Amino acid sequence: MTSQMTPPPIEQSLILFEDVSRFYGEVLGVNRVTLSIPPGITSLVGPNGSGKTTLMNLMTGLIRPTRGSIRIRGVAPSDPEKLFHFVGYSTQFDSFPKGLTGFQFVYSFLRLFGWDHAECQDRASQAIARVGLKNAAQRKIEGYSKGMRQRIKLAQALAHDPQVLVLDEPLNGLDPLVRAETIALFRELAAQGRHVLVSSHILHEVDMISDQVILLSNGYVVAEGKIQGVRSEIRDHPMQVLIRCNRPSALAARVFELDTVVEARLHADGGGLLVKTRDADRFYRLLNHIALDGIDIESVAPADDNVNSVYEYLIGGEEPGR
Amino acid sequence: MMARYWAQIRAVIRLEMKKTFLARRGFWVYVLAFAPALMFAAHDLSMLRSREERSAIAAAHPVPEQALRSIQPGMTREEVIAQLGEPNVDDRSVRFRRTRREFLTYTDGRSRYLFGFADGQLESVSIREEETLPQDSLIFATVFQFFFLRLAIFFGCVGIFTNLFRGEMIDKSLHYYLLAPLRREALLIGKYLAGLLATVVIFTTSAALQLWLLLAPYGSSSVSQFLQTGGWRQIAGYLGVTALACLGYGSVFLASGLFFRNPLIPAGAVLLWESANLFLPAALKRISVIFYLQSLCPVVAPPDRQINPLLALLISSAEPAPAALAIAGLFALTAIVLVLAARKARTLEISYGAD
Repeated sequence: MTSQMTPPPIEQSLILFEDVSRFYGEVLGVNRVTLSIPPGITSLVGPNGSGKTTLMNLMTGLIRPTRGSIRIRGVAPSDPEKLFHFVGYSTQFDSFPKGLTGFQFVYSFLRLFGWDHAECQDRASQAIARVGLKNAAQRKIEGYSKGMRQRIKLAQALAHDPQVLVLDEPLNGLDPLVRAETIALFRELAAQGRHVLVSSHILHEVDMISDQVILLSNGYVVAEGKIQGVRSEIRDHPMQVLIRCNRPSALAARVFELDTVVEARLHADGGGLLVKTRDADRFYRLLNHIALDGIDIESVAPADDNVNSVYEYLIGGEEPGR
Repeated sequence: MMARYWAQIRAVIRLEMKKTFLARRGFWVYVLAFAPALMFAAHDLSMLRSREERSAIAAAHPVPEQALRSIQPGMTREEVIAQLGEPNVDDRSVRFRRTRREFLTYTDGRSRYLFGFADGQLESVSIREEETLPQDSLIFATVFQFFFLRLAIFFGCVGIFTNLFRGEMIDKSLHYYLLAPLRREALLIGKYLAGLLATVVIFTTSAALQLWLLLAPYGSSSVSQFLQTGGWRQIAGYLGVTALACLGYGSVFLASGLFFRNPLIPAGAVLLWESANLFLPAALKRISVIFYLQSLCPVVAPPDRQINPLLALLISSAEPAPAALAIAGLFALTAIVLVLAARKARTLEISYGAD
């Protein structure tokens, strides 16, 4: 009898969604989601309204499923007493209890775990140092920049050393240096066998940090799996690159040396070229040679390297988030 | 296990303290709570001033009480002045519908006598006695029951307790609590105790200050006589009723903050019900917080003399509940409301957009 009630070991290491749906009245949040998420960095990708936050709120019990069941390493989200000893969630809400300093914020919510003053103080200091906010810890959160507020939320989610970290758009508002440090922190946590779930609508970001991705659209999971698989699908789809240079016509002639370039269009102002290529990596290598051959290249920027363009071909031209 | 729950509840109380005591948007609660104290302070000042004034006049123009009492209607102005001397405060003369009216004011140092003349003949004698502690304690009872209990504590509890959940939903900060390994019931109890602590401290401090101001202008002999003849019981009664009012109204408004998006609507409904209590049949009177609180008030407030006679006909009287029953009733009401609120808290979802 006891063995039937104890979840099998594999379940203890996974986040499981079984046929989960959530409706807000008549409005669909997510529908018939079945997922099995192993440890590592998993990105939930999709435009606004696709269901990323709904999935995160469901797995942390902030909302309840209309149908289906969820287990986080064997624990139901409806059991906060067990769940939040090993789950930390940094939400999308950019709001804080009024009048608290960064340190007081992290410390006060640690006290809810029932730990004593010294332990909470120690954990709060460590978490704040980990996100690089040591010098601002005694300042009121009201005076923090957007990036600092993101980091103090991350510190609060990390402070109790959770095995599952759920982060809703955690890189929003961070400057490039802090972004790199934060990504390194995610990698470090994932390497320790933890779940790090990150939501994002920036494909480039996801590409950099994820072990696996879950693509969402209008409340449905449209693709999931290892990042390489999704990336190769993306590679099959022509990618657009905008190049600003002094001789766009000469550049157009050169780029057709590559059989993966399917289209090159001169920019209206005569100072640039829009190229469609099936192999971005080879194209970038060619560009390096061209730059050495005397064409003065001012800038190179992906024109459609975002989740919207991925959706365009994964979902068959459906405009995401509509 | 219990030790951990208490540690968590204490942590919730600590987090809520600043919000309940020092919230900028809760400043009006202090104004409401301490308005009666200000009123009693003003009353004390005016009483002391008029007492000093009377003493000064009495010293300058000593008139014995017996002489003042001997003045009878029908006497002329000259006869009065001959008997009492020149008036010491005022000698006003007005003409109204061909009648010349005059007023002479005297004092024996304790009471003020106003003699009204019509065409030189004494028509009326008005004696304003010095304020006494029993009189003032009746005024206190009226202010306590009709303003402090029914309005100040009521709205103070609306402001503090509805804010505990609803305010955090508006500020979008409630989720931090829901993301901790904390039973929702423990969160509810912690928040309720924080609100209770704040309201009890604010309102019992105000009630104590009012009682002190009530006694302050009286001499030590009057005060010790008052305290020895049930005064201590009265003070304890007022402070106890204040705390019980916070307990009862607090639970109701904490729950309304959980159940309703706009808690002012249920607050309005409760206010209407509690205000109508005076006119409700005896059986319905008992289904209210104010009935039990008034049953526990140590002094029965005198009825309002200004009340419309038609409304006066509608007033129904009910035997006050025995103290033990009233206290038990308030605790039972609080427990029932908190159990319902806890059930709601268990299924609470975060959907700030919808709030």
